[in-house]
Amino acid sequence: HIEEAGITEEYVGFATLPNQVHRKSVKKGFDFTLMVAGESGLGKSTLVNSLFLTDLHKDRKLLNAEERIRQTVEITKHTVDIEEKGVKLKLTIVDTPGFGDAVNNTEPITQYIDQQFEQYFRDESGLNRKNIQDNRVHCCLYFIPPFGHGLRPVDIEFMKALQDKVNVVPLIAKADCLTPLEIKKLKERLREEIDKYGIKIYQFPDCDSDEDEEFKQQDKDLKESTPFAVIGSNTVVEARGQRVRGRLYPWGIVEVENPSHCDFVKLRTMLIRTHMHDLKDITSDCHYENYRAQCIQNMTRSVFHSPLAPLSPPCVYPAPLQLRRMQQMLQKMQQQMHEQEL
Amino acid sequence: MSDVVPPEVRPKPAVPAKPPNVGAPSPSSPFPPQGLGVGGGGISAPPPSAIPVPIGSHGPSHGGSHGMGHGVGHGVSHAGSHSGSHSSSAGSTLLGYIGIDTIIEQMRKKTMKTGFDFNIMVVGHSGLGKSTLVNTLFKSQVSRRSAGWARDEKIPKTVEIKSVSHVIEEGGVKMKLTVVDTPGFGDQINNDNCWEPISKYINEQYEKFLKEEVNITRKKRIPDTRVHCCLYFISPTGHSLRQLDIEFMKRLSHSVNIIPIIAKSDTLTTEERQEFKQRVRKELEMSGIEFYPQKEFDEDMEDKSDNDKIREAMPFAVVGSDKEYQVNGKRVLGRKTAWGIVEVENPNHCEFAQLRDFLIRSHLQDLKEVTHNIHYETYRAKRLNENGGLHPISSTDTQESNL
Repeated sequence: HIEEAGITEEYVGFATLPNQVHRKSVKKGFDFTLMVAGESGLGKSTLVNSLFLTDLHKDRKLLNAEERIRQTVEITKHTVDIEEKGVKLKLTIVDTPGFGDAVNNTEPITQYIDQQFEQYFRDESGLNRKNIQDNRVHCCLYFIPPFGHGLRPVDIEFMKALQDKVNVVPLIAKADCLTPLEIKKLKERLREEIDKYGIKIYQFPDCDSDEDEEFKQQDKDLKESTPFAVIGSNTVVEARGQRVRGRLYPWGIVEVENPSHCDFVKLRTMLIRTHMHDLKDITSDCHYENYRAQCIQNMTRSVFHSPLAPLSPPCVYPAPLQLRRMQQMLQKMQQQMHEQEL
Repeated sequence: MSDVVPPEVRPKPAVPAKPPNVGAPSPSSPFPPQGLGVGGGGISAPPPSAIPVPIGSHGPSHGGSHGMGHGVGHGVSHAGSHSGSHSSSAGSTLLGYIGIDTIIEQMRKKTMKTGFDFNIMVVGHSGLGKSTLVNTLFKSQVSRRSAGWARDEKIPKTVEIKSVSHVIEEGGVKMKLTVVDTPGFGDQINNDNCWEPISKYINEQYEKFLKEEVNITRKKRIPDTRVHCCLYFISPTGHSLRQLDIEFMKRLSHSVNIIPIIAKSDTLTTEERQEFKQRVRKELEMSGIEFYPQKEFDEDMEDKSDNDKIREAMPFAVVGSDKEYQVNGKRVLGRKTAWGIVEVENPNHCEFAQLRDFLIRSHLQDLKEVTHNIHYETYRAKRLNENGGLHPISSTDTQESNL
């Protein structure tokens, strides 16, 4: 703390800068977009509810098998405002129902992520930048079923398709059907395979050397327990004299927030309490910048080569749909500016 | 005695403590202890008397915002909305606490690591104590004069722009402070257009930033050389503003934050000072000069009331000094004369302390934000409207950009 010392002190006062910065941020509030992906029935919605103490899916209808066959992967968004100790968070959960049931699972999702980037790019390049809404996906929790023996082809394909667009955090779902030893083996197996296939999942940044020991230990524990094995629950049970979130089985009670039962607490700590800001930073500094650089290069190439001619056949340029949209956007922007001048 | 109420320093927001240690491990037995005293502690104890309660039964109903598009953005305050039995009581592991407020701590760590930039420009004719004042403000030798320039160097024939940077640190916060001096301003016989080099410099910094922003591969942190604050020194004539003062401020108040101050105010008695300030304020108003903090950028009632107080007290009448003297057993910065010591930080003597509190302790960040969100955006919009559009330039592109 800096005390307001007496008249003559060597104290200038700009040490209050961080507080000045944060005062504004607190006033404005924060936002965070979390995507959940994985087959249906892996407890995604329940986990999200447990993480944010919400009940976002009260009235949802679970589809039967027949209905599922006709499914394509949908993208649904739920937004909720949460406030805690004066800090406001606008949380958006992007769900991907139908994943795993459809033929083409990955494309609708990568398209969605790109769309958010495109929207942000437009806003950022536009004239009125005062209140840009950031809908970019900051983190994608990918649920791996606990029943297998490692990554399946769909897992590998999905994570590789998304690794350069979003922070991918793989999770072992419904971990309460595994014994601790099985979990350990599965985690090792998964880590090996992630390495082997060169899948770039979200990496925790290294701790500063000047952090206290407690924090460093916590950080080490986090890094060593990935991928997290999680359980979620929408029900409260009585255990050891307390009311806790849990699942009641005839052979015992699984407590969601008990670190010896599952990694839920670790996930929550990482996602919300220690790395939320970093997730947003990486999204904005790496994933978004990559997208933007790619976009601009495509745009410039097309503008310089054929400003008036119609767009070349798709085999010449990558992602022609994107390119055309970018060109349209540029033209629209210029039109708007000319209209403003009049 | 001065009857001007010193502007309030904004209260520092409480920095939240580090997040409580989460999840103290406690092994749970497979069979939770009996609470009802039914039967003995046999091995095959009856199942625990736990009744799952759906969470949705507590607090205000969300009304399930599902489906495409945005949910109803109502604020659900979780800290208090759980039913009494599982609100966060001391000791119990956080059933009702998510931990969102820790993002502030995360941000603060990050910003402390990256450090801050601040660029301040001083404008006024020579001899008004600009360099001394800046040194006094930041309690270090940060101005150009201290960087080894001769004290008796000649006044330049045209306005020059000279900038000097230093990194100063306080309380773990590192700040790269750049002081931009403008020797030659107002010193000629004919001072026509002497604001032009200054205006050009300010716009050049905006242009630099803009170019970085539209680059294909952008730097993670674009170096910020834009002028965040321009201290304009008014000569303490006691009469009124000079024509040059009005011309300068009129032309530049829309591209940079201008803070007018009355320099060397120890030549004015308290009454003279009050009168002069009122007259200056009136003239500024009549000329339509919006100095910082500009009324139109007050964001909410709280801002407005804070800033109104400051606007009433401006322009601050200041005295600068880098010499220390003993007064009443304390060491103070001041100017020693035959009739007494002018104490720089004494609010009864001059308004330096108020200027410092306003500039550094409460509005430093705001100065940067207004520069970035308003002045820079104005410049950028103007540039985008010229030449029919802005094309991104690659850093390796040797072609002429379309700007």
